[in-house]
Amino acid sequence: MTLLSFGVALLAFVVLGPVLGCFLTGADRIITARMQGRVGPPFLQPYYDVQKLLAKERRSLNSFQGYYLILALVMTVLSGAFFFAGGNILLVVFLISLSSLLFVIAAYSTRSPYAEIGAGREIIQVLAYEPMIILLGVFFYLATGSFDTSAVATLGLPLVALLPLIFVGLLFILTIKLRKSPFDLSFSHHAHQELVKGITTEMSGHNLAVVEITHWYESVLFLGYVGLFFVWAPPLTLVLAVVVGLAVYFLEIVIDNSFARVKWQYMLSWSWIVTLVCCALSMVLLFALYGFVV
Amino acid sequence: MLVIAALIIVPLITALLLLVFRSNRARVVLVIAAVALLVALAFVLTARYLFFSSGFAVAQSGFLSYVMLGIDLVCCLYILYRGIRATNYLAIFLAGLQGVLALVYEFGFSHNAAVSIDVYVDELSLIMTLIIAVTGGGICIYALGYMQSYQEHLEHEGSGLAVSGEPSRVAEALRLVRDRRHIFFALMFVFLAAMFALVFSNRLSWLLTAWEVTTVCSFALIGYARTEEATKNSFRAVVVNLSGGLAFTLALIMLAGGGTQLFELDKLIEAGVGGTLVLPLMLLAFAGMTKAAQMPFQGWLLGAMVAPTPVSALLHSSTMVKAGVFLLIKLAPSFGWNIPGLFVLIMGALSFLGCTALAISQSNAKRVLAYSTVANLGLIVCCAGVGTPEATWAAIFLLIFHAGAKALLFCCVGTAEHHLGSRNIERMDNIFVRMPWLASCMALGMMAMFIAPFGMLVSKWAALVSLIETGHMELLFVLAFGSALTFVIWAKWLGKVLAVGREDERISTRVSRLEMVSLAGMAFLLIALTLGIPYVSELFVMPYLWETGLVLQLPIWAQASEVLGYDNLMIMSIVFMVMLALLVVQILRRRPPSNDTVYLAGVGASSEERSYYNAFSELRDATQRNWYLEQFFGEGALLRPVTILLSAVMALFFILGIVAELMPL
Repeated sequence: MTLLSFGVALLAFVVLGPVLGCFLTGADRIITARMQGRVGPPFLQPYYDVQKLLAKERRSLNSFQGYYLILALVMTVLSGAFFFAGGNILLVVFLISLSSLLFVIAAYSTRSPYAEIGAGREIIQVLAYEPMIILLGVFFYLATGSFDTSAVATLGLPLVALLPLIFVGLLFILTIKLRKSPFDLSFSHHAHQELVKGITTEMSGHNLAVVEITHWYESVLFLGYVGLFFVWAPPLTLVLAVVVGLAVYFLEIVIDNSFARVKWQYMLSWSWIVTLVCCALSMVLLFALYGFVV
Repeated sequence: MLVIAALIIVPLITALLLLVFRSNRARVVLVIAAVALLVALAFVLTARYLFFSSGFAVAQSGFLSYVMLGIDLVCCLYILYRGIRATNYLAIFLAGLQGVLALVYEFGFSHNAAVSIDVYVDELSLIMTLIIAVTGGGICIYALGYMQSYQEHLEHEGSGLAVSGEPSRVAEALRLVRDRRHIFFALMFVFLAAMFALVFSNRLSWLLTAWEVTTVCSFALIGYARTEEATKNSFRAVVVNLSGGLAFTLALIMLAGGGTQLFELDKLIEAGVGGTLVLPLMLLAFAGMTKAAQMPFQGWLLGAMVAPTPVSALLHSSTMVKAGVFLLIKLAPSFGWNIPGLFVLIMGALSFLGCTALAISQSNAKRVLAYSTVANLGLIVCCAGVGTPEATWAAIFLLIFHAGAKALLFCCVGTAEHHLGSRNIERMDNIFVRMPWLASCMALGMMAMFIAPFGMLVSKWAALVSLIETGHMELLFVLAFGSALTFVIWAKWLGKVLAVGREDERISTRVSRLEMVSLAGMAFLLIALTLGIPYVSELFVMPYLWETGLVLQLPIWAQASEVLGYDNLMIMSIVFMVMLALLVVQILRRRPPSNDTVYLAGVGASSEERSYYNAFSELRDATQRNWYLEQFFGEGALLRPVTILLSAVMALFFILGIVAELMPL
């Protein structure tokens, strides 16, 4: 990753990230509505929502919440830029967890009991998905010999062929990361299963808009993770990656609409079990199939 | 050489002076002057080493060996005396045995041995020197303020007891209340002197003496309060550490006898690399692990928090436990894929995982810190066990940043405890409004413990990379799950500390100026260290690895390159700058807070109290506790199985070690 490629990726991600994220959310809302027998909002509704939020009077319980949220946004953008510039995958992971931490602090900072419950649940979510994300980086290295995401370009075959079970593990925790049922514990887009508004209870106007935009960036970044498994000889395979990414997003929407929220114990233990099983078997697979020797 | 001698002698003289001049004013002047001198000496030594000369300093020393032996025996006698008074048979036995073995070692083996290098300096001892002088010194200054209010609290409580009028209780109260602060500070400085001696000694018998002095100092400091609990816990600490010392002495005797004839640390490491030593290395590792409070010995460190907070800060950050990991890091080149290496690595990894999980269930701030110390030291121990230059890089980085962050955190918690009257994390709610600077320092310390772009995370990242490269797949799982658990510990506490109630109703609590100055100093240091991550690596850590490689003729070490690459370290530094810059912007353009109240499913009455009127117009308080997940991570659920597991692993490895010693392949 050179400074130039990072600069280009940063610029592209800053501009395209929210656009794609907004489109994804818009499509999500329409598809979800159709699944529920409704017509649904216009495609650009998420954009209108954010626009409206930004136009509202700035009211916030304290002046620090805004700082934490902006910083969380900046960290998400940075990690996305590193990811798409072909940078170090562990760096991406660590910046994303910084972003999650800042989001949690932003919720705690209000001293709202409801937001604190949401923040506590967000922490449990991090506990659930973080091992898989870190191990994904580890296996990425084992398979490609490098931590740079750009290494997939010279791999000669798709990463998913080497690490099918890691892909399954990623799909499992993706539901948490994309904030979809059954794992949308900290805050949900489904009003019927929400305790007030979870972690965002005390976020409004400008701050809530920042949260929404961060979520757009994050969704694109994590679909990028999915795509990473299908890129091996760009540029043609990039199309495949995008198609798979969209398919996975559709799958997540289906899951989102088919399950009710589960208890945190269930989410935590199953995420860890899936992580352990997928990673342990992947190791065996790497050894057995590709004679991989450390 | 003179500087090294001064580093050891200055604190000793200060300790004596502190015992003589007992007035408060004199103490403040003495402590500040001594700390300033020590820090200056540490920097002079560093500058001289980095810019002018490098290598080993030599001393000729028939006489000094007697002094060192004498000190060692005094230590044993002191513990014997205390053990007899408290009728603690185990302590008596261990101290007696230790004394006898020390005599046997000195006169049976070591006294006439040809030792070419008694005292040395390298980058690792420089790092340790700076840590001891700067954080240790900072803690001493902090203690000036802290012990003042500690004594006031004591006298307040004591007068309460005295009022009851019962003669036995009055006598007890007077005993507890008596101002013994001069002893306290003298001990702190002796502790520092012992640490300096420990990081410069090449002659193993001197190293052992310094080792024993730290044991005794910690024993005396933990028991400082003289309550029943303090005495009990101090004996628990001394028993564990004496068994470590005993293992150390046994290892020395084994090394001196037989065919090896080793009396020097550098020769020992050299021989260790050759792979001929098994049991002595394991015994030394055992000693290191007891001192570093690795599971199953973590109990003594947790018990140590009965002592005044500066003691905990000192034990956890710059002394004591760091002595344990220092020894293991020194020995790292001889670890790796061998029995001692695997022993160290597995014990460290399991301690890391076990104590991280246990920390989640704690609501007592000091216990969280204690468990987190054991966990992080476990990671250092584990990295030392891996024994590659990359892993050692991670271990040294962990050591540096852990010292900085933990010292700050302990001191913050101590101050908070005095002002909140509790060390419970739940009580720290809204501390940001009451003591904004304290809360900010605490938050900085916490973030430095676990999240990007701070040093601990960078070190963990390096540990991860070095584990992958050495093929320790099982440990990658430990690290991945351990990191996630770490996030939980700190995130929920950080949330509590950074919670802002009403900003306009700021109640400033008066904190002693000495405490504030040292806290600010430590926080500033931590910020500087984080910004300077790439330089810490370039100036200190990498040269140590190279030099170790050259001296020991280990080609991989001599060519060690940065695990994460300079650019990744730079990125971390830049990310931190971004955070700071945005913070400045935030502070400059702070908007006036609104009068909104939080949503409480009713009519809000007070944001401060979180009270509201419910549907029946009754005043209700909303309460909310953090998550402690006790059924998963509680001491009740985890402590026994983990202790049993680790004891079994240890026993197994020692059996292996003995077998390997008896039947060399």
